[in-house]
Amino acid sequence: MAQTLAHRKKNAAALLLSVPLVVFALVFVAYPLASGIATAFTSKSLLDPTEAFNGVDNFVSIFAKPAFLNAAGFTALFAAVVVACEMVLGFGLALLFDRKFPGKKLFFTLTLLPIMIAPALLGIMFRLLLNEDIGAIPALLQSVGLSVSLFSPSSVIPLLVVLDILQWTPFTFLIIYAGLQSFPRELLEASSVDGAHFFRQLWHIVLPVLKPVLFAAFFLRAIDAIRTFDVIYVLTAGGPGTTTTTLSIYIYKVAFEQGDFGKAAAASLVVLICLLPFVPFIVKRIASTGMEGK
Amino acid sequence: MTTITEPDTHHDALASVRRSRDRRPSRWLFTLLIGAIAIAINIPLLNAILVSMKPDGEIARNPIGLPQNATLDHYANVLYASGYDFPKFFVNSAAIAIGTVILVLVIAVPATYAIVRLGFGGRWIIDSASGLRLLPAIFFVVPFFILFSNLGLQDSIPGLILANTFLNLPLAIILLAAGLRDIPTEVEEAGSVDGAGIFRTLYSIVLPMLASTVVAVAVLVFIFSWNDYLFALVLSSSNATPVTLGASNFVTSTGIRWGDISAASFLSTLPPLLFAVFAQRYLVSGLSAGAVKG
Repeated sequence: MAQTLAHRKKNAAALLLSVPLVVFALVFVAYPLASGIATAFTSKSLLDPTEAFNGVDNFVSIFAKPAFLNAAGFTALFAAVVVACEMVLGFGLALLFDRKFPGKKLFFTLTLLPIMIAPALLGIMFRLLLNEDIGAIPALLQSVGLSVSLFSPSSVIPLLVVLDILQWTPFTFLIIYAGLQSFPRELLEASSVDGAHFFRQLWHIVLPVLKPVLFAAFFLRAIDAIRTFDVIYVLTAGGPGTTTTTLSIYIYKVAFEQGDFGKAAAASLVVLICLLPFVPFIVKRIASTGMEGK
Repeated sequence: MTTITEPDTHHDALASVRRSRDRRPSRWLFTLLIGAIAIAINIPLLNAILVSMKPDGEIARNPIGLPQNATLDHYANVLYASGYDFPKFFVNSAAIAIGTVILVLVIAVPATYAIVRLGFGGRWIIDSASGLRLLPAIFFVVPFFILFSNLGLQDSIPGLILANTFLNLPLAIILLAAGLRDIPTEVEEAGSVDGAGIFRTLYSIVLPMLASTVVAVAVLVFIFSWNDYLFALVLSSSNATPVTLGASNFVTSTGIRWGDISAASFLSTLPPLLFAVFAQRYLVSGLSAGAVKG
C-alpha cells in the first residue's frame, strides 16, 4: 500500500517536472515538424500565406530543374572532402599533442579557438583576409608574382574547403584527443614489452580502441558539413552563379528570395527523408559509446 | 562527464611506446611545430585584430604588416559613432544567449531528472533528442518563420530565445542525462529515507552534484546561441538583430568600412573567446561528452 502510494507520488512528480519539456516539444518541435511536412504539399508562399493543396507539384518542380540536384551534389562532395581531411588532420594533431612539451596549455587553448568563433563572423574575418584590395593573402600571393582570383569559379571550391578545414579540424582534434586521454594505458605497455613498432601499435591497438570516438567525431562533423550554411553564405552567397550553393543555401533561397515556402518545405522534406535512415544507426552507435562501463 | 581532458592532467597515452624509441629529441621541437600550427589556424582572427588597429588609409596600403600607426578609432566608431547600431546588436546577442541558457536549463534539468531517475518516457526521449540533433536545422526554418509570424514573435528577443532553445535543448538533455547517470543513486535514496521530497532531493542534493555538468551545458548553450546565424537571419529583421548578422553592417555610401567591420567582428567574438580561455575545462568536457554520449 505504502509502496503504491510512493509510486504514485513519484509518477506525479515525474509528470510535473516534465511539463515544461512536453509543452515546449509540442509547440516548437512537433508542430513545426508537422507544419513543415504539410507545407510541402501546398502552394504557400512568403506573400500569399493561404494554403492551397497542390499535391506533389512542389516535388515535381524541384526535380524539373538541375538546381536542387546540383546543390545536393556539391553538398555531398564538399562534406566528403572536408570531413576526410579533418579526420586525418585532427587525428595527426591529437597524436602530436599527446606528449609533454613546453607551452602545451597555451597552444591547446589556441587550437580550440576556431571552434568558438561564430561561423558567420569567421566568414567576415576570412573576407578581411582574402579581399582583393585589402586582404593579406592576395597581397602575399601578388608579392611572389601570383595573381589568383580566389573567388573565381575555378578556385572558390578549394578555397571553401580549406576554410572549413581551418575551422573544424580543431573539433575532430578535440574529440580524438579526449578519447586518447582515456586510452587504457596497460594495453600499450603490454604490447611495448613485445617490442611492437609504433605504427603497428597505432594500427592494431590504438585505432580499434579509438574506433567509437573516431566514429562519433566523423558523424558529428559529417552531419554539420552536410548542413553547412553560415560561412559559405557570408562569403559567396552560394555563387559565383550557383557553384557553391549547398542544400541549406538552396532551401533558404527558395524560401526567402523566391518566396516559395511550399517548394522549400518540399526540398527540406526530401533532404530529411534522405538523412533519416542514418539517424537511428548513428544514435545507436554513439549512445553505445556513452554507455560503456555503466 | 568523466572525460576531463585538461592537458596537465593527461597521461600521455602513447608516451610509453615512444619512450622506448626516444632519442630524446628536444621537446622544444614540438613546441615550435605545434605552436606554428596553433598560430596558423588562428590567422583569420589575428589578421582581423591587426586590421582593426590600422587607420583607414593604411588598411589597403599595408595589408600584410603590423599596424604602423596603431589606433583604436575603429573601436570608438563601432561603439559610439551615430548611425551604427552595433551596441544594440551586442546587447541583443547577450540577451538572446543568456535568455536561452536560462530557458534551456529550466526546461531540461527537471525533465532530464524525471526521465533518468523517475522513469518518465524512458530511453526513447533521450534517443529522440540525439536524433533531433542530427536533423538539418534548415528543415525547421520555414515552419518557424510561419509559426513566429502567426504568434507575433517575428523579430523579437523572446522569439530568438525560443528558437535557440529549440536548437540547444537536445544537447542539454543528452549532457545532463549523462551527468546524472554518473551520480550514484544511493545519495538520493539516503535523502528520501530522511523524508526529503522529490523536489527537495532534486534541488538540494542532485543539483549541487550536477553542478559541473550544468555549468558545461550553460557555457556551450551560451556560445552556440551567441553564434547562431541561420535562425537570426530568418527570424529577425531589425529589432532583435544579433552581432552575427549586424557585424557586417558597416557598408556606407562612401564604401566598405573595413576597419570598423574588423573591430566589430573581433568584439563580437570576444564573449565566446573569453569562455574558451576561462571556462575551457567545461567546454572541453561538454564538447567531448556531447560527442560520445549522444
